[in-house]
Amino acid sequence: MIASTGGKGGTGKSTFAVLLVLKLSNEGKKVVLCDCDVECPNDYLLLNQEIVDPKPIYRKLPELDEAKCVKCGICSRVCKENAVFWVKEKPPMFFLDLCSGCGACWIVCPNDAIKPKEDLAGEFFVNQLNSNLWLVTGRSKPGISETGPIVGEVKRRAMELAKDINADYLIVDTSPGTHCNVIQALLNCEKAYVVTEPTPLGAHDSALILELIKKMQIPAEIVLNKSDVGDRKQVEEISSNFGVSITIEIPYSDELVRSYSEGKLEEMVDLI
Amino acid sequence: MMASSLAILFSENGRVVACDCDVDAPNLGLWLGITEYDSTKRISTSEKATINPDKCVECGECFEACQFGAIERTRGFTINPLLCEGCGVCQLVCPADAVELKKVMNGEIGINEKKLGFPLVSGQLYPGETGSGKIVQELRRMAEEFDHDVMIIDSAAGIGCPVIASVTGCDYAILVTEPTPSGFTDLGRILEIVNHFQIPFGIVVNKWDINPSLSKKIENWSGERLLGKIPYDRKVVDSIVNLKPVVYSDTEVTSEVLKIFEKIKNQS
Repeated sequence: MIASTGGKGGTGKSTFAVLLVLKLSNEGKKVVLCDCDVECPNDYLLLNQEIVDPKPIYRKLPELDEAKCVKCGICSRVCKENAVFWVKEKPPMFFLDLCSGCGACWIVCPNDAIKPKEDLAGEFFVNQLNSNLWLVTGRSKPGISETGPIVGEVKRRAMELAKDINADYLIVDTSPGTHCNVIQALLNCEKAYVVTEPTPLGAHDSALILELIKKMQIPAEIVLNKSDVGDRKQVEEISSNFGVSITIEIPYSDELVRSYSEGKLEEMVDLI
Repeated sequence: MMASSLAILFSENGRVVACDCDVDAPNLGLWLGITEYDSTKRISTSEKATINPDKCVECGECFEACQFGAIERTRGFTINPLLCEGCGVCQLVCPADAVELKKVMNGEIGINEKKLGFPLVSGQLYPGETGSGKIVQELRRMAEEFDHDVMIIDSAAGIGCPVIASVTGCDYAILVTEPTPSGFTDLGRILEIVNHFQIPFGIVVNKWDINPSLSKKIENWSGERLLGKIPYDRKVVDSIVNLKPVVYSDTEVTSEVLKIFEKIKNQS
């Protein structure tokens, strides 16, 4: 399992992931691409696919049975997200927008008045592009802030599929950033490609993601996108500070930008 | 790019405070030419659990109850700090009082007051930590303490926790997109968030000339909401490399950004 990540948005994580799976599948390898950028999944667009036939992903949210509630307020005290509001002698009110689904409230309720209830958190899609290439896309329901568990579930499905079809590679495309949804995507990966660009912004953000990857003890390589524009000095410094080499360089090309925006990246596989 | 330009332009005729709420990958400072902060405060907005192996009776209650898969069963039970959300459920179910919750320093907030003529408040979540949304809330609280007419917030990418914490309570949102299928689809996703919170908004198409026909489609779709379109100019990369804000650079982008600023000013 290999990840394409990079900290910063718009550096080319998805472009690289798609080029990589196209290249591997052209070589006859069986590949599953898992789009773990569940907040804004784009790989299907880059591969010119439509995503249909959604399969649901659920999370657990509390549901109150007012008849059973003894109005003690313990649920409100244990909630770290301030999602349970309680005033004396009243049943609690739940602000589900803030709820992380941790279950503290239903665990402490002395009268079993709070029960977990399945709630739609997102969905996932499976596309088979050809005899060698599959795509698993996760998508969160807008308004849900805790997207890490959705990533975990989508990845679990992709791993099952990879096992079923006896895939040679599972490639994981992460979202930008370094928080829970990226951590979930990187978990258990054997290698991570850090896609960045030769600007102070790219250097700054790749240092952050490299810090995370170091903590997670995942071997990494740097992919320098738009390698011939800007100034690569800072990225080179970071590469040597972290002991992670720049192994792939993708020069800027109008053709790549155009094929990306038209969903025709297969024409550009030779770039990596 | 838009946030840095708007902060500078608004500051010419009023008091501005700029906030970098992209705490996963904060870049607003760099767009404004800032690499150092006058003061940096380490903050704690999250807790993490640890299991005391001497007290643990290995009953597995915590393993079953954790909704985040953070408890690992190897020799005994341990908590993976990367997955722990600090919710405390393991502590609640533990019959042996073996779980302790400890506050962790999960980020920092830097302030630069001197260089720009207006304060920049910038947040940073430490890599691997949780609680980005709460850092955004704390950052906005600190920014509110500066006298200001306009607060400019640069949000993270996506539609998750730090983004929701960034857009809640805003008076106006500028949605920046680009003419690619991804850009257009993601615009629809962020629109659902902005509409959910009933925030008035305008749309900017960046790099419109990389795909003029799709740009046209987005412009038509945006209708009255369109604030403007910005061409792609490789000189923008040079201005980032030189840490020179785009509004002070001589690029094709600069004049379009000025037009967009005028439009936003007249709306607010």
